[in-house]
Amino acid sequence: MSVRLRTGNALAVQATDLTLAYQQRPVLWDVDLEVPQGVLMAIVGPNGAGKTTLLRTVLGLLRPAAGEVRVFGRPYAEQRQLVAYVPQRGSVDWDFPTTALDIVTMGTYSGLGWVKRPGASERSRATAALTQVGMQAYANRQISQLSGGQQQRVFLARALVQDAQVYLMDEPFQGVDATTERAIVNLLRALRADGKTVVAVHHDLQTVAEYFDQVTLLNVRRIAAGPVDKVFTDENLRLTYGGRVAGIGGRTNGSGHEPSL
Amino acid sequence: MDVLSDLFLDYTLRTVALGSAALGVVSGALGAFAVLRRQALLGDAMSHAALPGVALAFLITGSRAPLILMIGAAVTGWLAAVAIVSIVRASRIKADTAMALMLSVCFGAGLVVLTFIQRQPAAGKAGLDRFLFGQAAAMLESDVITMAAVGALGLLGVLVLWKEFKLLSFDPDFAASLGIPTRRLDVLLTSLLVIAIVVGLKTVGVVLMSAMVVAPGAAARQWTDRLGTMVTLSALFGAGAGVLGALLSTTAETSTGPTIVLVATGMVAVSLLFAPARGLVWARLRAWRSQRMLALEAVLADLAALAAQHGSDATHPHDVGALHAVRGRVVMQRALAELAAEGLAQRHDGGGWSLTAQGLAEASRLARTRRASGDAP
Amino acid sequence: MTSAQIDVLLVAIVVAAACAVPGTFLVLRRMAMMSDAISHTVLLGIVLAFFVVADLSSPILIVGAALVGLLTVLLVETVSRTGLVREDTAIGLVFPALFSIAVILISSLAGNVHLDSDAVLLGEIAFAPFNRFTPFGGDLGPIALWVMGAILVINLACTALFFKELKLATFDPALAAALGFSPALVHYGLMALVSVTAVGAFDAVGSILVVALMVGPPAAAYLLTDRLPRMLGLSIVIGAASAVGGYWLARLLDANIAGSMATVVGIAFLLVLLLAPQRGLVATARRRRRQRWSFARQMLLIHLATHEGTPAEADESRPDHMQRHMRWPPTFANRVVQTATERGLIVLEHDQLRLTPQGRETARVAVVS
Repeated sequence: MSVRLRTGNALAVQATDLTLAYQQRPVLWDVDLEVPQGVLMAIVGPNGAGKTTLLRTVLGLLRPAAGEVRVFGRPYAEQRQLVAYVPQRGSVDWDFPTTALDIVTMGTYSGLGWVKRPGASERSRATAALTQVGMQAYANRQISQLSGGQQQRVFLARALVQDAQVYLMDEPFQGVDATTERAIVNLLRALRADGKTVVAVHHDLQTVAEYFDQVTLLNVRRIAAGPVDKVFTDENLRLTYGGRVAGIGGRTNGSGHEPSL
Repeated sequence: MDVLSDLFLDYTLRTVALGSAALGVVSGALGAFAVLRRQALLGDAMSHAALPGVALAFLITGSRAPLILMIGAAVTGWLAAVAIVSIVRASRIKADTAMALMLSVCFGAGLVVLTFIQRQPAAGKAGLDRFLFGQAAAMLESDVITMAAVGALGLLGVLVLWKEFKLLSFDPDFAASLGIPTRRLDVLLTSLLVIAIVVGLKTVGVVLMSAMVVAPGAAARQWTDRLGTMVTLSALFGAGAGVLGALLSTTAETSTGPTIVLVATGMVAVSLLFAPARGLVWARLRAWRSQRMLALEAVLADLAALAAQHGSDATHPHDVGALHAVRGRVVMQRALAELAAEGLAQRHDGGGWSLTAQGLAEASRLARTRRASGDAP
Repeated sequence: MTSAQIDVLLVAIVVAAACAVPGTFLVLRRMAMMSDAISHTVLLGIVLAFFVVADLSSPILIVGAALVGLLTVLLVETVSRTGLVREDTAIGLVFPALFSIAVILISSLAGNVHLDSDAVLLGEIAFAPFNRFTPFGGDLGPIALWVMGAILVINLACTALFFKELKLATFDPALAAALGFSPALVHYGLMALVSVTAVGAFDAVGSILVVALMVGPPAAAYLLTDRLPRMLGLSIVIGAASAVGGYWLARLLDANIAGSMATVVGIAFLLVLLLAPQRGLVATARRRRRQRWSFARQMLLIHLATHEGTPAEADESRPDHMQRHMRWPPTFANRVVQTATERGLIVLEHDQLRLTPQGRETARVAVVS
């Protein structure tokens, strides 16, 4: 596919000056997001900081009041095929009458276009993706019978099937068991080894340094962004979380990276 | 049976059966999506809002042709849906309020137009008030043909855009991230729901049509975990309820709409209770069985503990009076009887009980598996 | 006006007022569709009670209807608690079923009883004056007026007595439970009021238009005020006004009175939706327009502040950059720059927009807030 060639040397994702308001209340103010190819980037910030909004704006699900999004140097709309999205698990109806394999097959829909139905090759790709996340045994399970972690892995498999260059994930570690958490981390690393790029909204400050290379600290505005070891500092966290971190457990004397949130 | 032979010979009955089947298939298949998309009540609002459309279409054209009345109904039903969505989006009014308001206001406006028509001397009021509760017996061949044609259009839409509609119903955000125009598809799928509603107007009536949209889908959902199977089953249930209800109402001379709705509701009740896997009866039965198994295992363990006190003579009879006190007399006696029936325990002449050799083996096997799985005994 | 017309008008006003009171809480509790369900199923209660007492004017009918109204709520909850269908589906299943039973029972009663399905749906308020309340031979006006008046008084009394419980259970059921006010009890109490009101209003306006009177006026009032007592009062006023308006519309068109009342409720809601001072669509659109300018100015200031002192500043602060990056049309961008300059927030130096101290402060405040 020709789109595959359009990656070039540009940043994998570059959003500039994103501004978005709900009812005049700013949710994102002049936010830049720069994600080089082949990194795992966490988006970190307090509740209401606009993390999910940022992701959804990058995906074109929300229209910003200002700013633009480029994927490998071209407008998002032209490069949509290069981007895969893993929504929050809570955003869908898990009682929907369908199987795990069917959910994963949905990842092939964008390649199929309108009207055409998925066939054997789509299903075998979906099965391969399920295997990759260790869920092949559950292919024909109704999705409500899966645990939270298993559901999350099904969502990841669906993104894998899209065979994208950039993966945008909304809290992939939210409410998953330890097995799934390890599986996801391994998967992220495998993606990085393949030269893919991952941007994930992340809540657990304690694991940011372990799981990710880069971090964007967000609280309506971008507070800081860059490699984790440079950017993920006490000072920046205090700026991001305001007094809330500073007030808890002696964060102010600045040792370690684990604010007790 | 008379009704059966009539079905093939009698023109009216055949028309009624065919029309009701068409109605059921269409509303069942399209309604399945409404159930999944939480639009059950939106369907109610839209079907009520169809009334002014029917009345206006007649008032403007003076025609009672089914297609014209259906178009009128579809237009106002669709507008009501758009109004509901717009009100919710543009103001602080919540969806339930918007639906209830549109439903009743449109219905009221429909009544105004209806009574207005009825007071016009030339209008010939017969026919229009049937749209309230429906009357299958008044169905003509032209009605059936129109219903089938309009319905086929709706079904075709679902078939062609099957995977898009599935994605839209399950995960609209993901659909949008794939570049699928979810807004427009949403409008389209809602418009198909309008089709499901207008095909039933003359048979079931505006007041109860929503039930025909909801009930088959709700029943079908209980029998399967696949969307394709669910939509097919829903269409079949819809057809079954339509035909059965219409024939019942024609022979028993009851109102058609309510009769069809009751048959459909009966199908839902049976499905909720007896559908394999999801049915309430089976769920209750499973819970009861596992509870009984637990009770049996507990008594087995008790007897094994008693036997252990006697060392070598494991089958020495025991007085179970002490256990009665702990477990309850009735529970104990039933458990002992069942254990005896399975050859795990035996009753001795003096009234005492003991485990059989088989029972001892079973008890120690259970104890082992329990330890292995880490459960407390 | 003849005295019969005045009677009709009075009944209409009282019905509307009585409906508005429980309706306010239904709207706030997001249970408006329950009024639709209950107003349909009370018919079953009336029919069943009629089988027992064989008298259409017996107060037992109201009791029976209220009981079936509660049964509806109970059934909906039972069905949705199985987890097999969702609540909206449960409502959509239960009330058509109960209503169907009622319609079939009515039609089996044959035509000799004045209780046919048309009357059920349409009501006939025009007949209200002919059914007089005549204790001890004196004429005290239409019975409907007395019945609905009593229901109005009951609704007002219950609301006044349990105002704090209703408010708490509506706003925060968990807190209500924690404080010992059973939300379930409040819920069923409210549903009982809805049932009684629906059956009382039934004769006058029929089962579906009750919904318009219960939901419409409170929905309009909800757009006009943020205070619960005021919302109750406004609901009553809007309901009564719609009743009067509907009566005149019906006379004008020679059409069904109840239908006209519902239509006027819809028109009243539409007017409020458009013209409400704070939340109306017109006011909102105006406010948006005004805020769009100040918002754009803020964006400009913050953009400049963000890049102030960075290497990219030279590029980021050129006026034409605003057009590209903020997707502003040139005229709009120029006007934003112009108004910001007029207010002393920015200055243009060497084709670069620079913040004045005042502009810098405004940007800082905008971000903090």
